[in-house]
Amino acid sequence: MKSQIKAHNPIYRGISIIILFALAIFFFFPLFWIISGSFKPAIEINSATPTLFPINFTLDNYQRLFQQPALLWLFNTVFMAVMAMALTCLTAALSGYVLAKKRFFGQAVLFSLLVSAMALPKQVILIPLLREMAFLKLHDNLWAVILPTVGWPFGVFLMKQFSETIPGEMLEAAKIDGASELRTFTSVVLPIVKPGVGALAIFTFISSWNDYFLQLIMINSTPKLTISLGIAKLQAEMSTDFGLIMAGAALASIPIITVFLIFQKYFTQGITMGAVKG
Amino acid sequence: MANVVLKNVQKIYPHGSRENKKEQKKKAKSGAVQEQQKNQPVVTQDGVIAVHDFNLEIADNEFIVLVGPSGCGKSTTLRMIAGLEEITSGELYIDGRLVNDVAPKDRDIAMVFQSYALYPHMTVYKNMAFGLELRKEKPEIIDQKVREAAEILDITHYLDRLPKALSGGQRQRVAIGRAIVRDPKVFLMDEPLSNLDAKLRNQMRAEIIKLRQRIKTTFVYVTHDQTEAMTLGDRIVIMKDGFIMQVGTPQEVFDRPENLFVAAFIGSPQMNFFPAELVLEDGKYLARISGVDFPLGADLQSGLSQKKVQAGPIILGIRPEHLTLCDSATTEPHLKATVEVCEMMGSTLHLHAKVAQNEVVLAVNSVDLPPEHRYGFKPGEEVNFSFNGNLPHLFGPDEQNLIYA
Repeated sequence: MKSQIKAHNPIYRGISIIILFALAIFFFFPLFWIISGSFKPAIEINSATPTLFPINFTLDNYQRLFQQPALLWLFNTVFMAVMAMALTCLTAALSGYVLAKKRFFGQAVLFSLLVSAMALPKQVILIPLLREMAFLKLHDNLWAVILPTVGWPFGVFLMKQFSETIPGEMLEAAKIDGASELRTFTSVVLPIVKPGVGALAIFTFISSWNDYFLQLIMINSTPKLTISLGIAKLQAEMSTDFGLIMAGAALASIPIITVFLIFQKYFTQGITMGAVKG
Repeated sequence: MANVVLKNVQKIYPHGSRENKKEQKKKAKSGAVQEQQKNQPVVTQDGVIAVHDFNLEIADNEFIVLVGPSGCGKSTTLRMIAGLEEITSGELYIDGRLVNDVAPKDRDIAMVFQSYALYPHMTVYKNMAFGLELRKEKPEIIDQKVREAAEILDITHYLDRLPKALSGGQRQRVAIGRAIVRDPKVFLMDEPLSNLDAKLRNQMRAEIIKLRQRIKTTFVYVTHDQTEAMTLGDRIVIMKDGFIMQVGTPQEVFDRPENLFVAAFIGSPQMNFFPAELVLEDGKYLARISGVDFPLGADLQSGLSQKKVQAGPIILGIRPEHLTLCDSATTEPHLKATVEVCEMMGSTLHLHAKVAQNEVVLAVNSVDLPPEHRYGFKPGEEVNFSFNGNLPHLFGPDEQNLIYA
């Protein structure tokens, strides 16, 4: 009640809008700076009096970027992130459902192991992962970055929490209606846990996209690089050509912004639901 | 349409299983403290027995109601018929076919759940059509069946809505509709009205009676509400701790309860029980309560003498509506009680009173009362009551009815 009255108070509303606006600018500014910078010539970027908008607008940075295999890197990154997202969602939804709704021997132990795996820092398992991928002859292959992401314990955990909200009677109703296990999963379970899958999709896409360290360890050769590795490579080779790097970063941000805009509904829903219903 | 036969059906939850723990918790929750001590689940070396040696023949088109307190095994029995619960031992026949190992979908049954269990992302139409689609029925047949069922249940207007846009009563209709479209041989209902408010429950109960007249099929209905059991069932199965306590028509179980449990469970307000002494004087049986001798009616006399019942301690049960208030000056045998609470129910008054150490409830018609008492009695007032000698139920020390058991 109190908070409702507060929300309708014009002063309160005004102050919140100002704070939110300031925060939005604070977070948006780096992105703006990259995009703006990508259209500036080198002199303007390095000038002692920085300008907000490009004075001498140029596409030169992009031209130089596309002389590199930037589109291929972008494609590699999208392929990696989409595959990781799709496979993680599929396996997490399936295993989360099984952990939440089926009874089998060793279930509690399996779940505890899974939760403990969440506590392991990535750096600890990187070297074993590298050896594993080398053993599978997947080193310097995009699958070496995709596969370790699939089966992400957090994803399984999230989907388990979502699946637990499905009433047992509903699954029994499906059983009596004559649905097979697979059909129950696709027609009853999946539509109900859709917000969870949506949230997980965006989480996985972003984390896979941003997982620079894993990509750096697993991939070496230029045609297989991801966009972040590619930009880093440019930086190393070209004695910090900021225009080029900014153009690369602007290009790299397009897919991730797109994905976020598509799934943002699920993203917020997923965060709140996972938290409250857990 | 089919008959259902359960032969020596048992359900045992092995030790340590999740269901076992659930069952024990349920049993612990049921009823008062003293009942809890009596209601200990039967534990063997194999596990907790949820249903014991259940034998029942359900005829074609019969409406059977399984009733009992929570944890009595009624839902487990229903779930075994549905195929959602494995049968530990015994045989289950539906329409003459042994179905112990048959999958639920192949048993030709339909089930309505307490929580409705509608698919939240499907419209009412899709919810009802889902089972038929899985059976690969032709779309035009599905459409026809869904619309017919919707017509019967008066939910045609809601076919395009999602369950969340419906009220509790409407959702329950959809759940029933989903069962009807399948033309099942056996219709199973697991406490379908428990989630509804009192008014809606009465309304839906009447609807189920009407539905039953329209669709000829066998019904197995589970409830903990004895009113539902009495009004809906052709026969009632009263269960306790996994045992059948009595099977009979509503009238039979009301008039001739075989044991103390059934006598107490069926009827509202609950039957009164008095510790008494059965006395045999000059070949006539008398019931002595708190030192007052009550002659027993002719039916009870002949019943007792036929069974050659010995004199001794008994429990005398009498329904609240069978107790009548009388004048203290009367020469007839009567008991004196002190009013503790008086509940005005409209046409009747429920008097909760105390006789010696016993609680007693009298249900009296308010029109029969003198004007000063028509609107109730004050706590502490003294009343005298008596009963017709043909109406009491006599239970032996083993809690069995001396005449009907």
